Amino acid sequence: MAVFDTPQEAFGALRPACVQLTRAQTMENVARLQAHLAAVSASALQELQEYVLFPLRFALKVPGPKQERLVQSVVQCISSVLAATCVKKQELLQELFSELCTCLSPPSSSSNPAPLSEELKLAVIQALHTLMHSAYGDVIWSLYQPSALPLLGFAVSLLLGLAEQEKAKQIKISALKCLQVLVLQCDCQEHRHLDEDEAQQCGDLFASFLPGISITLSRVITGDIKQGHKPTVSAIRLFYLIVGLVMADAQLARIAKNKEKLPVEESRISELMVHRGPDWSKSTAEKLSLLLHKMVEFSSVHPHWKVRLELVELVHYLLRNCSQSLVDSFSHLLKALVGLVNDENGEVQSRCKEVLQGIAEQKIVTQNRALVDVLSENLHSLATALPRLMNSQDDMGKVSTLSLLLGYLKLLGPKINIVLNSISHLHRLSKALMQVLELDVTDVKIVEDRRCEGVCGPSGSLQHGVQKGRRQKKYFRFFTEEKIFQLLQQVCRVLGYYGNLYLLVDHFMGLYSESGMYRKQAAMVLNELIVGAAGVGVDVLQEREVSLNMDDLKGSIMSILDEYTDQANWYLITSIDTEEISHEHSVQHSGLTARPGGVCSSVLLPSPEPHVTTRTMNSNIWQICIQLEGIGCFAAVLGKEFRLLLLSALYPVLEKAGDKTLLISETALGTLVDICKACSYDSLQCLINENSDYLVNGISLNLRQLAHQPHASQVLDTMLRHSDASLLPLVEDVIQDVLSALDQSYNNQASTFLRVLHSVMTALVQWFGSSCGEEHQQRQSPKWWSGTLSQGQQVVTRQEVEQFFLDYVRQKQIAEGNLPDTGDEEADEVLPLAEPEPNNSDTEGETPLPSHAQLAKDVMERCIHLLSDGNLRVRLKVLDVLELCVTALHPHGNHLLPMAHRVWPALVTRLISDDPLAVLRAFKVLCTLAQKCGDFLRQRFSKDVLPKLTSSLLSQAPASARAGPVYNHTLAFKLQLAVLQGLGSLCEKLDMGESDLNKVADACLIYLSAKQPMKLQEAAQSVFLHLMHVDPDSTWLLLNEVCCPHQYEPPHISLQPVKLSGMGRQRNEFTDNVLLLLERLQQQESMMRRAGTQEASPP
Amino acid sequence: MALPPPDPQFVLRGTSAAVHTLHFSCGGQEPGVPTLFSGSENGFIHVWNLKTHRVDTELDGHGRKSVYCVETIGSKNRLLSQGRDQRICLWDLAEGRTSVTDSVFTENVGFCRCSLLKVAEGRWLVAMAAKALEEVQVLELPSKTSVCTLKPEVGAKLGMPMCLKLWQLNCGSQPLLLAGYEDGSVVLWNLSMGKVLSQLVCHQEPVMSLDFDSEKAKGISGSSEKVLSIWSLNEQQNLQVYKTHKLVNAGIADITIRPDKKILATAGWDHRIRIFGWKKLKPLAVLDYHTATVHCVSFSDHKNPSERLLAAGSKDHRISIWSIYTQT
Repeated sequence: MAVFDTPQEAFGALRPACVQLTRAQTMENVARLQAHLAAVSASALQELQEYVLFPLRFALKVPGPKQERLVQSVVQCISSVLAATCVKKQELLQELFSELCTCLSPPSSSSNPAPLSEELKLAVIQALHTLMHSAYGDVIWSLYQPSALPLLGFAVSLLLGLAEQEKAKQIKISALKCLQVLVLQCDCQEHRHLDEDEAQQCGDLFASFLPGISITLSRVITGDIKQGHKPTVSAIRLFYLIVGLVMADAQLARIAKNKEKLPVEESRISELMVHRGPDWSKSTAEKLSLLLHKMVEFSSVHPHWKVRLELVELVHYLLRNCSQSLVDSFSHLLKALVGLVNDENGEVQSRCKEVLQGIAEQKIVTQNRALVDVLSENLHSLATALPRLMNSQDDMGKVSTLSLLLGYLKLLGPKINIVLNSISHLHRLSKALMQVLELDVTDVKIVEDRRCEGVCGPSGSLQHGVQKGRRQKKYFRFFTEEKIFQLLQQVCRVLGYYGNLYLLVDHFMGLYSESGMYRKQAAMVLNELIVGAAGVGVDVLQEREVSLNMDDLKGSIMSILDEYTDQANWYLITSIDTEEISHEHSVQHSGLTARPGGVCSSVLLPSPEPHVTTRTMNSNIWQICIQLEGIGCFAAVLGKEFRLLLLSALYPVLEKAGDKTLLISETALGTLVDICKACSYDSLQCLINENSDYLVNGISLNLRQLAHQPHASQVLDTMLRHSDASLLPLVEDVIQDVLSALDQSYNNQASTFLRVLHSVMTALVQWFGSSCGEEHQQRQSPKWWSGTLSQGQQVVTRQEVEQFFLDYVRQKQIAEGNLPDTGDEEADEVLPLAEPEPNNSDTEGETPLPSHAQLAKDVMERCIHLLSDGNLRVRLKVLDVLELCVTALHPHGNHLLPMAHRVWPALVTRLISDDPLAVLRAFKVLCTLAQKCGDFLRQRFSKDVLPKLTSSLLSQAPASARAGPVYNHTLAFKLQLAVLQGLGSLCEKLDMGESDLNKVADACLIYLSAKQPMKLQEAAQSVFLHLMHVDPDSTWLLLNEVCCPHQYEPPHISLQPVKLSGMGRQRNEFTDNVLLLLERLQQQESMMRRAGTQEASPP
Repeated sequence: MALPPPDPQFVLRGTSAAVHTLHFSCGGQEPGVPTLFSGSENGFIHVWNLKTHRVDTELDGHGRKSVYCVETIGSKNRLLSQGRDQRICLWDLAEGRTSVTDSVFTENVGFCRCSLLKVAEGRWLVAMAAKALEEVQVLELPSKTSVCTLKPEVGAKLGMPMCLKLWQLNCGSQPLLLAGYEDGSVVLWNLSMGKVLSQLVCHQEPVMSLDFDSEKAKGISGSSEKVLSIWSLNEQQNLQVYKTHKLVNAGIADITIRPDKKILATAGWDHRIRIFGWKKLKPLAVLDYHTATVHCVSFSDHKNPSERLLAAGSKDHRISIWSIYTQT
C-alpha cells in the first residue's frame, strides 16, 4: 500500500521531514519522519537508507544530555527503517551497532548500567535485533573479525547485564533473543548456515565470552522462578547453543596444540582471544560441569514444563555436539534426561523418549566407552542408594528414582553385559531389587481366605478367577503405587532382554536358594527376566545385538521350573488347619494326629510346627503364588513348546488349583488359563482331558506315598471340578486307585480321601444328575391323584353321599383283597405302585451298571465303613458323600436298595446316638434316601427312627416354647427345625401307615402353638401340609378337634349332627395356625375337585 | 535297613489290554526320540515316545490276536512281531510308514517267544517253536530260508518248547540255542548238527523264561514254581546246576539280565518285579506297583548308563517305567 514507489517520489516526501529533524531534534519531527516512512515502499527506502538514517543518527550523536523519550523514538524510527531495508556497508553496520550500544551505556564511565527507562532499553534491544537481521553475508561477517572483538564484547556484556538484572520480562527475553542473534544462532530461517571454518572462527571468538555468558546465563536460569518460564527457556537455549558451538567436539579436534602468533598490530586484540587447546577445554569443561549440574538440578524440577522440555533439548544438543568435551557433565545430564522420561507432561515425555530413542539409534552411548563408564558408574551409585531411597522417599520420589534406573539400563542397552559382568555391579543391583521388592506379609486375610468348597460350581469358580485379573495384586513393604511395581517389572525385563540370560538366571537362582528372605523377590525377578528375555512386554530403545536362542530360553525355564516345583519350595505350610497340617507332616507326625476324635485332641496337642506364624504362612502363600505366576509366564513365553513341559508342570499347578487357600487356588487357575492360551487349548477342560494321562500318572504315583496323598487328591479334585463327563473314562482307573489307597489307610487319611470322594460324587451327580432327576419325577406324580380324587367335598348332594358310600364299600373290599372283576379302573390304581419294582429288577439285574453308577456304588461301600469313624468331621463328610451316592445311584433301584439296606444300621446309629451336628446331617441323608428309596424304608423308619424323632420333638417342645430369641442360634433349635422341615416330606415319600402318621401329627401339633418360635411354627405347618396330601381326612379331623371354626349341618336329617371337640372352643395358642391350615386344606380340596370334575367328564 | 523301593518313574497307560511284551529302542545315534514298543493282548503294538510318554503310533497286524514278542531288527525302523495268529510279521516303520513287509507263518499254537540273533551284517537268525509240538525251527532273515529244525530224540518227552535263547560266544562263532521245555528241562542245541549238546532238568514245572550270559557262561531260568534256577555251561558244553534261589511266591513270567550283566529282573505272577544282582543272585529290590500279573520285563539300551530304564508290562494294562540302579 506504499504510496511512493520510486526513490524520487519518496525523496520528495521524506526530504522535508529529514531536513526538519536535522534542524531540530524533537519528538514531533521524529514522529513526522516515522509517519512519512510508512508511506514509502521498501525498495525506494533502500535507496534512501543512508539519507534517512543520517538525521536520526545525528539526533543520537548530538552531544549533551538528551531527552530519553526522544532517543527512544529515534531508535524506534531507526529500527523501522532497518526493518524495511538491508545494511550493505560494513562501516554503516559497525557504526550503527556501536551507536545503538552507546545508547544503553552509562553516560559517564560508571559501571552501573544507565538508569534508563525500560521502554528505551527495549527499543534499543529491538533495534539491535533488527540491525543484525538487516545485515547480510559478508557485511555482518565484518563484526566477527578479531578486530571487532571489543565492540562485540561490549554488546554482549551489555545484553547479558540486561538479561540478568532487568526486572521486566520482556526486556530479559528480548536481550536473550538479541544475544542469540549476536552469536549467530538465531532461530529464524533467514540466516545462512555457517560453514565449518566460519563456525570454527566464531568458536574461537566466542570462547572469550564463554565464561561471562555461561555464568550469567546460569544465574538467569537458576534465578527466581517468579521471572516466568520464558526467560529461563531462552537462557537455556542460548546456553546450549553457545556452549555447543564453543565446546563442539568437531571444532576442538581441529584446534592446534599451540596458539598461533598473530601479526603484531593485532597483538592487543589477540590477548583477548582464547586458545581452545586441550588444557583450556579441560578446565572449561570442569567449570561448565559445575554450572550444568546446578542448572540441571534446578530446571529438571522446574514447575513449568517448557523449561523441562528445553532441558531435554539441552541434553540432546550437548550430547550430539559435545559428548567428548563435556563427558564429565553427562552423569548429570543423562540423569536429568532419563528422569524426565516419566515427566508428568506428555510433551516432555514424548520428546524425551524421542531423544533417548535417537541416542540409542545413533549408538552414541554404545560407541562411546567413556559414556558407558559414566552410565555404569551412575547405575552403581544408584543401585547402592536404591534401598535407602526406597525406604525414605515417598512414592513420587520412588517413581523418579526407579525410572532413572530403568533409563540407565535402557540407555546402556546391549552394553548392560559390561555392567553385569562386574560382580560388584550385579551384586548391588540384585540386592537393591531384592530389598525393593520385599512383600508385605502382614495381611492376615490372605491366610484366612479359604476356597469355598462346593458352593461355586466349576465354571463359576473359573470365571471368578479369571475376572479377578490375571495377576494377583501384591502388597509391597516399601511402596504402594502400582506404577512403581510396573517400573520394577520393566527393569527386570530390560535386564532379561539385553543381559546374558544364563548369568542372570544363575545369579538370581543363587539368591533364591540362598535365603528365604529373598526367595519371593528372586522368583519375581526370575519370572520377569524370562518374560523380558523373550521380548514380551518389554519397552526398549534399541534391538539387542544377538537375537534370542530358543534353546537357551528353554533350558533356563526348565531349570527354574525344576527349582520351583521342588518339594522344598512347593509344599510349604500355608495353613494351620489341623487337618491340613496333619497331612503335610503325616509322615513324621502320623502318630499324633491319627487318633480318634482328632479334632478335640489335636487342639490340645502342640501343633507340629509351633513357630509357624501368620507372617510365615502369608509369605509362603505369596511364594507359591509367585511361582505359579512364573509358570504362567513361562507358558506364555514358550507358546506351544510348553506342551512338552506339561509332563512335569501341569500336575503341580493343578495341585495348587485345589489348594484350600483362596489366593493360591485362584492364582493357579489363572496360570492354567495362561497355559491353555499358550498351548492353544480351547478350554481348561481340553487342557485337562488331553493331558489326563500325565495327571493320572502323577496321581497314581503320588497316591503310593502317604505324604503326597493329599496333593494327589487335590489334583483329582481339580480335574473333576473343571472337566465334564468325558473325563470319567480317563480317570476311572485312578479313582479305583484312590479307593484302594483309602482301603489301605482308613485310619489316618480318611478325611483326605473323603474330600476326593466328595468331589467325585459331586461331579458324578452333576454330570449324570439329569437322568436321576427325571425318573424321580415320574415316580412321584401319579400317586396322590388317585387316592384323593373322590373324597372330602363339602357341599354334598344326596347322590354324592350315596356314591361316596358305594365307593367306600368297594374300596374296603379292595383293601381286604376281594377284587371285583369289573373294576378295571380300580385295578389300575393299585398296579402302578407295584409295577416298577419287578420291571426294574428284570432289566437291570442283567445289564451291567454304567461305570459312574458302579463308582457310586463302590464309594457308597466305603461310606458304610466310614460312617462310624471316630472323628466327627469325618462322619459329617461321609454323610455328605453318602447323600451324593444315593442321588447318583438312584436310577438303579435294585442296586440302591441293597446298599440302602446295608447303610441303614450305621445311619440309624448316627440318627439316634450321635453329636447333634451329625444327627442333623444324617437326617438330611435320611430325607434324600427316603426320596429315592420310597416305601422300601417305611418299615425300618417307623421302627428304628420315628419313635426317637417324635419323642425328641415332644421333649424339646416345652424348651423351645419358653426360649428367647437366642434360642434360634442353638443346635437344638436347628435340629428341631430340620426334623420338622423334613418330617412331612418323609412321611409322604415313605407312604407311612396311619398309626405312624398319627404319631407324627401328635408330635408336631404342639409346634403349631403360637408360643413356639416362628420358624418352628412354619416348619410344623409344612408337616401338616404334607400330611394333608397323604391323608386329608384324618388331618382335617385332627385339626378340627383342636379348633373348629364352622358348624356342620348333616346333609340329611337321618344322619346325626356332627360334633367335633374343637367346636366352640375359646381362641387359644393354636387357633391361628390351625385356621390357616384348614383354609389351605379347603383350597386344596376345591382344586382337587375341579381337577376331578374335569377328568370325570371327558368331552 | 535299606531304602524303601522307589516308585515307578512313569506309568504308561492306554494299551487298554494286558501287555505281553516290551522292547526298548533308545540307543540309536540318530537324534530321534527314545522309543518303547509294547505288544498287547488285543493284538496292537504301541510305539511309545519316551519323551512325551505318549503313543506315537499304533500298529495293528495280528488280527486282534495277542502279540507276545516284539523285537527290532537293526534299527528301530524295522520291527519283528510275533502274535497268536501264528504269524511273525516284519514291519517297515521308516518315515512314518506302518506296513508289514513280510511275514512267516509259524503254525505253532504255543506261547513260546521267538529268539533273534544277528549273525552278520544284514543277516539274522530267528528261532521259533515249529508246527510239530516238540520241534524248534531256525530261519534266516530276511531270506526266510530254513537253517535247521531241532527235533528231540524219540522218547525224550520234553514237551513243547516254552522259551528260546539264541546266542553265540562271540561274533563269527557258532550260534547255539538254549531252549526251555515244558517238562522243566533246559537244552543246549548245536544248530549246525541239529543235535542236543547238553540237557539239564532245572525245574519240576515248565520253564517259563530263561536268559543267558555268554560272558560268564551262566544262565538263569524261571518256571511256574517258587524257584529260580541258575546253571552254568562248562568248557565241555555241559550244563550244570549252579545254584537255585527260593522265591516267596510262585510263578515267573519273564527274566531279563541287563545288557551290562550287573543285575537282572524277573516278572512275577505275584504282581511284583524282583531285582537281583547277577553275580551272586543277591536280592536287591522288590518293585511293587502292578495290580495284576507282570508279564514281561525289559531293560533299555540307552548309551548313557544313567538314563537306563527298566520297563515292566502287566495284565493290569499298565506299563511301569523304572529308573533303578543306574549308578552301579
